Amino acid sequence: MFEIAAIVIVLGAVLVLYRAIKGPRVYDRALAVNVMGTKTVVLLALMGFIYERPHFLDIALVYALITFIATIAFLKYRETGGLD
Amino acid sequence: MIDFMLLFFLVIFAIAAISMKDLLSAVMIFSAYSLIMALVWMRMNAVDVAFTEAAVGAGITTVLLIAALSRTKRREENSPQSEITNSKSIQRRLLLSLITVIVTGAMLVYSTIDMPDFGDPDAPANLHVAARYIEKSYEETGVVNFVTAVLASYRGYDTLGEVVVIFTAGVGVVLLLRRRKEQ
Amino acid sequence: MDIRAIITGILLALGCFFIVVASIGIVRFPDFYSRMHPAGKSDTLGQLLVLSGLMVYEGFSLVSVKLLIIIVFIFIVNPTATHALAKAAYVSGLKPWKKEKGKND
Repeated sequence: MFEIAAIVIVLGAVLVLYRAIKGPRVYDRALAVNVMGTKTVVLLALMGFIYERPHFLDIALVYALITFIATIAFLKYRETGGLD
Repeated sequence: MIDFMLLFFLVIFAIAAISMKDLLSAVMIFSAYSLIMALVWMRMNAVDVAFTEAAVGAGITTVLLIAALSRTKRREENSPQSEITNSKSIQRRLLLSLITVIVTGAMLVYSTIDMPDFGDPDAPANLHVAARYIEKSYEETGVVNFVTAVLASYRGYDTLGEVVVIFTAGVGVVLLLRRRKEQ
Repeated sequence: MDIRAIITGILLALGCFFIVVASIGIVRFPDFYSRMHPAGKSDTLGQLLVLSGLMVYEGFSLVSVKLLIIIVFIFIVNPTATHALAKAAYVSGLKPWKKEKGKND
């Protein structure tokens, strides 16, 4: 059951990968990377249950924080032209 | 199945990050690459490495690269790439280097066949000191996680040296790049 | 079969459905602002469902508390990030897509 869900999510990530690579503008890429990050969080939680190591969840939590930081840094750069 | 998909993602992202002309897009793709890489570490049960990869690779490196971009230019310098690839002799040279890379890569892949399987308990790397670390590290150092025990206790001076090097590099970068106040 | 496993299965299936729909939307929609919709809404809902399915499977323990933290965090962060993206794109002057006039498709 968890394996099927993980594989379906990975297939969804393949579609997002297409947008990340083709994406005509840099915003599309940022959006795709953001979606990819949240998908990774879910995938990590699922993998923790598949391999029966639930402490993977701590890392999923770190991921959720980290991808947000990256996205916000990108946005700040695009809006103000710097990070200061 | 998931392993193959993850490796496929890695290869695609690596090629995309290199071939991207817009540097900001390349940074974003690279961040996604780090996420997938951390998943691969996770899959190999290397929890500590995955933690570092997620925090440093996907988070800090992206922010640092964007900060570097904000002080330089976003586009790649317009190198006369098209003229280079058009001339005949350079094309031949490119072909030659491609062949070299492929042959070297094939030899490297061939040499991995002789390597022990992943996680094999009889591999030479697992027979030397690893057993002692696993059995004795709690008694000798009192640290529960033995990766931490190796890094912080058995190789404490080594780690101290690394920290000094990184600290010096950080101080140097700060001194070079700090914003000078107008006097 | 355990009733808990059935609920987990249903939640996982629903969540996967929403995530795949969001991915298709991200590929198929014509411009950036419309791609915002699947990324901000459908994707968040899908992740929420999958994670709550895992929570039901686990029962009441420390693991499900962590899952709850992740859920709350994603629920706050994902729409915020998409909103900020849309704002950045709008400030930098990206025009929304419009159907071209005189075309019948």
